[in-house]
Amino acid sequence: MNLDFSVEERAFRDEARTWLRENYPDTPRPEGGAAMREYDTQWQRRQYEGGWAGVAWPVEYGGRGASLLQQMIWYEEYAKTGARDLDSCFVGLYHAGPTLMARASEEQRAFHLAPILRGDVVWCQGFSEPGAGSDLAGLRTSAELDGDELVVTGQKLWTSFADIADYQELLVRTDRNGSRHQGLTWVVCDMRSPGITVRPIETIEHSSHFCEVFYDEVRIPVHNVVGGLGNGWSVAMSTLSFERGTSFAVGQVQLASLLEEVIALAAEVTGPDGRRPALADDEMARELATARAEVAALRSMMYASVSRNARLPQPGPEGSMIKLYFSELRQRVCRLAMEILGAQGWRWQPVHGKAWYHEYLLSYAMTIGGGTSEIQRNIIGERVLGLPR
Amino acid sequence: MDLLPDDEEREIAESVATFLADRFPVSKVRETFGAPSAVDAEFWKNAADLGWFGLGLDESLGGAGYGLAQQALLFREVGRYLTPGPLIASVLAARLAARTGHQQVAAGILGGEQPVGLLVRRSEPDDAPDTGPSADRAVSGRFDLLDGEGASHVLLVEPDRSALLETAALGPTTPIRCADDAARLAEVALTGAPVVAALAESTDALYRRALVLTSAMLTGIAEATRDMTAEHAKTREQFGKPIGVNQAVKHRCADMAVRTEAAWSQLLHAALAADDDVPDAAFQVASARIVAAEAAIHNARDAIQLHGGMGYTFECDAHLYLKRAHLLEHAFGDTRAHLRAILEATTPD
Repeated sequence: MNLDFSVEERAFRDEARTWLRENYPDTPRPEGGAAMREYDTQWQRRQYEGGWAGVAWPVEYGGRGASLLQQMIWYEEYAKTGARDLDSCFVGLYHAGPTLMARASEEQRAFHLAPILRGDVVWCQGFSEPGAGSDLAGLRTSAELDGDELVVTGQKLWTSFADIADYQELLVRTDRNGSRHQGLTWVVCDMRSPGITVRPIETIEHSSHFCEVFYDEVRIPVHNVVGGLGNGWSVAMSTLSFERGTSFAVGQVQLASLLEEVIALAAEVTGPDGRRPALADDEMARELATARAEVAALRSMMYASVSRNARLPQPGPEGSMIKLYFSELRQRVCRLAMEILGAQGWRWQPVHGKAWYHEYLLSYAMTIGGGTSEIQRNIIGERVLGLPR
Repeated sequence: MDLLPDDEEREIAESVATFLADRFPVSKVRETFGAPSAVDAEFWKNAADLGWFGLGLDESLGGAGYGLAQQALLFREVGRYLTPGPLIASVLAARLAARTGHQQVAAGILGGEQPVGLLVRRSEPDDAPDTGPSADRAVSGRFDLLDGEGASHVLLVEPDRSALLETAALGPTTPIRCADDAARLAEVALTGAPVVAALAESTDALYRRALVLTSAMLTGIAEATRDMTAEHAKTREQFGKPIGVNQAVKHRCADMAVRTEAAWSQLLHAALAADDDVPDAAFQVASARIVAAEAAIHNARDAIQLHGGMGYTFECDAHLYLKRAHLLEHAFGDTRAHLRAILEATTPD
């Protein structure tokens, strides 16, 4: 047990911090469409040129090959610049890329990996469907083999950035006779293929990178299949071993800084008595202090998770505890901001320097996306505590 | 950076757990409830022989020279097994005595001959002021005395200083029944009671150490209640299936696990931060105390609830954990004080 970072790790942190400070774009990120894509991919390209793209990717695929602790340090510093991790390069870097590394052929890896790292391409994910959300294995989008092509028909949902993506990691049913987890196939879908219709879905905070995707006899070459026909479930799950406890490293730092903004807001905004700042209210002070303690605990949970994963060949189900704690806490912190703002809070435009209502609504996505809080609790109950299904 | 115990450190914890499971399981703790003292003399001596009281004390002062984090591993087991008696007070008193040159007093505590009771100040509006620059100023005010029966000394641990007093200097004490059956309680009023030895918090952060060890016990309680409830959810059948199948039960157990993980992780971070005396140590320690108390009390509550009617009986251990958690919650500053400290702390980096 120790909190010490080695000389090399401290040097790594300094190097990362300096590079990020000098290179993170100081222009605001466009809200959507081609301009946002351009912004995200340019930032990715700059990281690539600076030698910082894919810190967690092995050197053989052009990544930094950083140690687990260095990765954590990088994400912490990355978050402190204000950069966001869930941009349009996210699926390629953290999901499709690692899946390709684990399961794709030499040729597929050679074709796809470098462009992801360079920011040449944007990937999206085609997993969820209207009838298959938490129960992913219930998906029905079908792919019929026709010569050396798969013919795909069906619908995917909640596909972030489908409107600007080049490729999609697509999970389809190639065999309806096997069990639910068999008969699935993971295939690379070119988003410009004929028969694809992308329809953006407006969210509660009026953004629309969230899409539904329709497939009308879309023809995909069989050589785009990764890991073999019928092996899609295990291919889709292979990224789980890539995730080694650092998933919420960026989110954790962002939440810590958001909470400090909320505390500053409470010192600035007049409280319910109409005289003193909101922070002078005992109950509000208590809530904010508790949140501060819990944000500290979240960071410690991530440190513990990284320490645990450094020992284990395969990460365990503990990541679900961090996801649940983080997302629920973030929602509570945003709710506190709304309470502090009182009636000012209903303004859509920024007040006190921030679009608080927007931030508040975004926190609702976090307890749903990436596995709902309810699914996380099932996982924790069954896989951490061993409760019966 | 490695937050988790290595093999050797895990062995320390496992040897403590094995010893407690063997010699002082909760069933035996229950047998102490009617006894005049919370301290079982034989057990206390055994614990001393195992080096418990000097685990975190420098070897030059008669200890084993481990860090606060290793001590926290010990106290997590003490919490898990509901070990009665003033263990935190005795460990800290041995340290205070040894560091102020009171070797004989230290030796008595380290050897398990002398347990040390804990003085807890009661905040009363008309109390005489007991402040001043000197750490060894006399003690005045009204106090609760925890587990002082048979103790030659008592310890006062406050945010600015810690002081050791002779029990004889307290004068008459009035016994009162403690809500935690495992603890002995008395009240006492002091007017200028002399101290044997004292240390300013700035010299040796005993208050901070007390909070870390308290958080460790609370974490052990959170783990014990999580585990007993998960076990119950797996084995108790209703409507022909284990109750843990139901999400109303399963999700509550999951929340117990998450709270416990938060408490455990923050405990280790805080113990290491306090030992290294890093700039945000006070913040990390107060945060550990807050999340650990929340985990212990909330989990104990859920344990009672999820055990149903059995959970409300004296026979079920769940209430013992609840009562111990509430006792620990007030032993070294209360929740409001720690929350205030957290809000006033400078932002961690």
